[in-house]
Amino acid sequence: MDWQPFYVTLKLAVATTGLLIALAAPLAYVLAYARFPGKSMIEALVNLPLALPPTVIGFYLVVVMGPKGAAGRVWEALTGGSLLFTFLGIVIASTLYSLPFAVQPLKAAFQRIDRRLMESAYILGLSRKATFLRVIIPNSVSGIAAAAILVFLHCMGAFGVLLMVGGSLPGETKVASIAIYEAVEAMKYREAGLMSLCFIPISYAFLLLVNRLNRGA
Amino acid sequence: MMRRLGCGWVFLLVWVLWLIPLSVSAQERLNAAVAANFIQAFTEISQAFERKTGVRVEATFSSSGNLYGQIVNGAPYDLYLSADEERPARLNKEGAGERPFVYARGRCVLWSARKDFCRAGDWRTALRDEDVKRVAVANPETAPYGTAARAALVKAGLWEALKQKWVFAQTIAQAFQYASTSATAAGFCAYSSVMSDEGKKGCFYRIEEAPAIVQSACILKRTPHRASAEAFAAFLISPEAGAIKDRYGYH
Repeated sequence: MDWQPFYVTLKLAVATTGLLIALAAPLAYVLAYARFPGKSMIEALVNLPLALPPTVIGFYLVVVMGPKGAAGRVWEALTGGSLLFTFLGIVIASTLYSLPFAVQPLKAAFQRIDRRLMESAYILGLSRKATFLRVIIPNSVSGIAAAAILVFLHCMGAFGVLLMVGGSLPGETKVASIAIYEAVEAMKYREAGLMSLCFIPISYAFLLLVNRLNRGA
Repeated sequence: MMRRLGCGWVFLLVWVLWLIPLSVSAQERLNAAVAANFIQAFTEISQAFERKTGVRVEATFSSSGNLYGQIVNGAPYDLYLSADEERPARLNKEGAGERPFVYARGRCVLWSARKDFCRAGDWRTALRDEDVKRVAVANPETAPYGTAARAALVKAGLWEALKQKWVFAQTIAQAFQYASTSATAAGFCAYSSVMSDEGKKGCFYRIEEAPAIVQSACILKRTPHRASAEAFAAFLISPEAGAIKDRYGYH
């Protein structure tokens, strides 16, 4: 069996999880505590990938990241390369696709924090940013971990978006879910079965871990 | 009061929507699993057949490999139009399909949305151009047009030499989509897609080195509409359908 697609899947899941938690934490903080007009609109926008078919996201990404699209043109001007059909391209695609899976649990974790802790921090003279980094983040570690694992699992299972934007390049964008699909199409059922079987214990173990972390919180 | 009225409307709407397909199913209907390259021609052929006989033919378009997998797993199709000879023959051997027949011979072309792509002397030179960074090829393992494209590239000595440029699409239709959105500079497509409205906007090279793609079809043994399925199979190879196929570049 070819392990390379699993390696790409893992690499994608790790890269996306890291990037997404870093991006989603400030966003979730704002959504959890700030009050401003239009907040519900932003919240709905963040959740939009949940409600859209992956093919819709994939279709737009091909257009936007392509050489004629806005993102594709900017990227080409900066680096001279193409975003589509690269590893970075699928990291961006799955970051967008998994955004609500990071923001929702992070927001819930931040909201669970005792407000008195934050107020004490302000009274003791910490700035908002310092409070976020030194009080909120350390007090929601298990929530962050749960969000990270959810994103990680969601990335491992991503299929439709990557099918649209990936181009199935071996070692670059050919992830395990696509390798399974292609093996089925090529009538290599044994290989497809083996690869599918690998997913079950991995995903199950991670979900158990999420449960643990949530109970700990 | 308002709320109850709202509920009533929703109920009515659901009920009406539910009824619409019922009124259609009074007419006899065939379900065909059709290889993605044949979309345009099939749509016209099935319309002509419906005008003639009143039997409607609904099609599911996907790659031949995907459709084959669905059929093996019991999908309720009446006919299978593959893009190769191997899969219908295999269905026949396994007992799921009747004897296969050839319904079209397709050709592989190299198509681009940019007209200046075709200024080079031939397709090999066009591909070697350094500005051509990515070229879409349908998966050679599952899509017969991809297999033909790979054969031509191997023959021309370019398959390994330009390995960095290939982007793999799941079907020949996706290869065309990549090329037409300029996601790739060009794509190996079916000659039939060049004939579409979108295809006419670009330009193409014929790939003489690519073997003709012999496409065969079969009636599936589980069909409850045998007579109609046989009539459609006969229509598919009739001169009338032949004229439509000609227009889309099949012979």
